[in-house]
This record gives sequence, structure tokens and C-alpha cells, in this order.
Amino acid sequence: MLQIKELDIYYGRKKIVKNASFEISDGEIVGLIGPNGAGKTTIMKTILGLTKFRGNISFNGKEITDNNHEELNNVGALIENPAIYPFLTGKANLELYSTNEQSTSELITRLGMDSYINKKAGSYSIGMKQKLGIALALLNNPKFVILDEPMNGLDIESTILIRQIIREYSSRGTSFLISSHVLSELQKVMTSVIIINHGEIIMNSPIEEFNKSNSSSYLLRTTDMDKTFKLLNENSIPVSKDENHFIIKDEYIDKSQKIIFDHQIWLIELAPNELTFEQNIINILQKKRGENNAN
Amino acid sequence: MYTELRHELYKLIHRKLPWLVIIIMILFMIIMGIGMGSDYGKLLVMTSYNSSQIILLLLVIVGSTIFSMEFQNKTILTLLYRSKNKSSVFLAKFFTLIIYSILLHVIAMIVTIIFNMFPLINNPVSLNSIYKYHQYLFVNMLMTTGVDIVVSILIISLICLTSCLINSNTIVIVINAIIIFMGSGLSSNLLNANVRYVNIVRWNPLNMLNLTTQYYNYSTYHLTSMLSNIQLLMGTILYAMIFLLLGYFVFRKKKF
Repeated sequence: MLQIKELDIYYGRKKIVKNASFEISDGEIVGLIGPNGAGKTTIMKTILGLTKFRGNISFNGKEITDNNHEELNNVGALIENPAIYPFLTGKANLELYSTNEQSTSELITRLGMDSYINKKAGSYSIGMKQKLGIALALLNNPKFVILDEPMNGLDIESTILIRQIIREYSSRGTSFLISSHVLSELQKVMTSVIIINHGEIIMNSPIEEFNKSNSSSYLLRTTDMDKTFKLLNENSIPVSKDENHFIIKDEYIDKSQKIIFDHQIWLIELAPNELTFEQNIINILQKKRGENNAN
Repeated sequence: MYTELRHELYKLIHRKLPWLVIIIMILFMIIMGIGMGSDYGKLLVMTSYNSSQIILLLLVIVGSTIFSMEFQNKTILTLLYRSKNKSSVFLAKFFTLIIYSILLHVIAMIVTIIFNMFPLINNPVSLNSIYKYHQYLFVNMLMTTGVDIVVSILIISLICLTSCLINSNTIVIVINAIIIFMGSGLSSNLLNANVRYVNIVRWNPLNMLNLTTQYYNYSTYHLTSMLSNIQLLMGTILYAMIFLLLGYFVFRKKKF
């Protein structure tokens, strides 16, 4: 659906995004993750044809340039803040771009906005404005939706609702590119992850592969922890400790089990040491920074 | 561009300001009528109660917000990506202001005709009487309005240019208001200061603002502008096109 090849984006002479390439298929939910100033919003704006760039962006095989957005009529977006006219009612804001009154009414109801949709948008709370911004992005059943920090200002019920709606649209074939600092929320919906740092894409992978590749150690607890430690050291098995466990890399786990079994020590606990999604992201970013500093 | 134009008109209709300024315009026309007295009945009708300057000023006030509201509300991003290209967004705003200018001028003419029907502000004068350029007074009014719409297009192109150059709509309003109220005066001071190359200097863009006043008072203003009506008209159109192109160039280069 969306293809980005060798994308370079400049602000003046400074290269903000360097050689970015990725693809998004039908129904995919891609999380775009990176620290502040990494270039996430810039990439999103560029896909929407709002910034000059070098490289190639195509949507359904047709090229998008900074002055030709014809292919974007099936695209919805919420970038930075909800783009709302305060002097219009919420409904009028939607009607401005709506092509189907019936589906717009359904969207308003689905988002739980019926009670205030006929009030002037200027009087809305931050959360109400955010919902209206999301409604604008989801208007006219788009094929591709860009959401920049969609959960900003939303209460827990609304956050869950938006998550459900994203999944619903995705199951109908709509693709999403979502950036959020609330990684735990993003983790619950995304099917792929793109990590960007200093304008460079440092990881682009399906979420299952990402989780698999970043869960490579096990937690071990035995009936005799001191003896276990001694045995593992004697057999040159690298081991680290947390409060109650040993942490052992998965490549040594079979060997470790055999050694402690042979010495009549019994397992109390053996479980994959899963880092949280946030920890994994931080590890990847720190590793990248380390590599850059070494260079 | 039809869709973008429809969107712009929809937004214009739903704002309070464009309707509010019509009341201000009518109040100004009443003050002008009372101020000029019954001796200038025909001139008041020809100039739609001297509404030209106030229409231009009100256009500046409404027009400067037509761009700035998009930048302030960040709606410019939605507007741009949902449009086919940047030029259609820019031109839709330009044509919306022209349509609004035509609306203000038509309302000014209708109000003039109503004022001229009843002896409340001034004594009614016959619209069929012969007045300037050996034409009926009604034709004079239509022609003056037409000429003033051309001048308003010049001001609209300036609004588009300055709004894209300057993010503060207050500064845009002040700059354009100065141009409207002092532009022709500055130009005539320059031309009357016996500068060299008068033949070139008289083509300065500020001189084109004399077009409407010269049209209904040729003998006085021709001495100031040093250009004929047709020359002023051509100059006005040319400068409107130049400012419009410059405005579009700035709009395309602007970072959103």
C-alpha cells in the first residue's frame, strides 16, 4: 500500500531524515518509535506531501510529491494537535471533509461524541478535541491513517475505545502508522515496529520477531542457589543475578539444567526473562548510541 | 479547486466576523451620507456612499484571518494533505476573498439604492439622470463598483502575500491598512516632489490605489496619479498578478 524508498528530508541544509525506507501493507498497524526530535513527525508530514524530500513515496503504486497529493484522498491523519476550527461545531468540522453523511454519523456514535458534537469545538476539553481529531482522521473510511500521539489527553475509557477502533479498522484492511510515547499502549495494537533515532531507521520488524529477538535469557531459581552459582561458574556459564534469580542466556539453558540435575539440585523456577517493551526499546536505542559513540 | 473553494466558503459563512463587518460597513455608509450632506447626492450614489475604503479595510480584517486561522489552529496541515496541491488551497482562499469582496460591493449598492429611495439620510436623486462620463447615474454606480472590485483584487493579492510572509494577523492588518489609507498619499507626495524619472515612478503600485477615486473624480486625481484611467486599471491588474504570484511562491516555500 505505502512504499517509502531512500527518503531524505532536509530543513535548510540540515538532513533531518536519512535514507529511510519501509513499506506498509494492507491492514498493518505500524508503530513509529523514537526519542524526541528523531524525525517521526517529519516523516509523517512528508508522507502527507507537506514537506519537500528526496527519494520516493508511493501510495497504491502512485507517486506522492510535495505538490501533488491526489493519491491521498483515501488517507486520514492526526498530526501533532487536532486540526479543528473552533468557530465550527464538531459536526461541522467533520462535515467539511465528509463524503458520506451516514458513515460520519456512525463514526460520531462509535466514538461516543453524540452528546457534544453539535457544540462549538472551541468549547471542547482537550480529550474531546483529541477525539474529534481522531474522528477527522478516520473520516470517509480511509485506506491509510497516520496518527501522531493519538492517546494525548484521552481518559482510560477513551484510550481503550480508540484501541478497539484501530483494531476494527485494521481488520477491514485500513493500515495505520502510529507514533506514541505511551509505548505500552502502542504495543497493544501494533503489528510491526519501526524504531528511528537521529533521522535513521535502526529497526523495522514485525512485532513477533521483535519480541522474540529481544527475549534471549531465562530466570532460574533452584533449591540450592549458592551451589548452583558455584557449579555454573565452574562450567564457564555466564550468569548474572537479580534479587531472587539467576539470569542465564538461552544458549546455556540446556547445559545449565543438566549440570544442576546431575548434582541433585532441583528447579523451583525456570522462566523466560521478558524485558518490558519499553526496556527493549531503551536497550536498542542505547546500543545504537554506543555504536555511534564508538565510531 | 472547486472542492477547496466550497470548503473556504463554508468556513467563511460559519464565522461571525464576515457578517459583523457588513453592519460596520452600513454604519460607515450612513455616517458618510450624513457627513457629506445633500449637496453630494449623486456623488454618494455613484460611490455607494463612499464605501470603497471601508470595504478595503474590512476585507483586510477578514482576509488576514483567512490564512492566520489555518496556521494558528494547525488546520493548514489537513487542508493541504486533503487537497490535490498547494496551489488549489492558495487560489481557493484568493477567490473566496474576491467573492466576499463582490458580496460587500453588491450589498453596498443595494443599501445605496435603499437609502436613495427614502429622504432619511439624503434627498433621493434619480438613478436615470445623466452624471459622469455622460452616463446614467446607475451606470456610474455600477462602473465605480466594478473598478473598485478590481482595486480590491489588488488589495486581496497583497493580503495573500503579507499573510504568508507574516504569521501575526495584527501586523498584516496594520501593514495593509497603512497601504490603503496612506498608500495613494505617499505616491502623490513622491510624484509631486519633482523626482526624476516621473514617467517610471508613476507606475509604482501605490499609485494604482487612486483608480477608484480617479474614476469618480478624474480632473482632481489625474493631476496626482499622472496616469489615465485605463493605465491605472492595467497597472492594478498587473500588480495584482505580481503580488499573487509572489504570495503563491512564499506559500509554497513556507514550512508547515
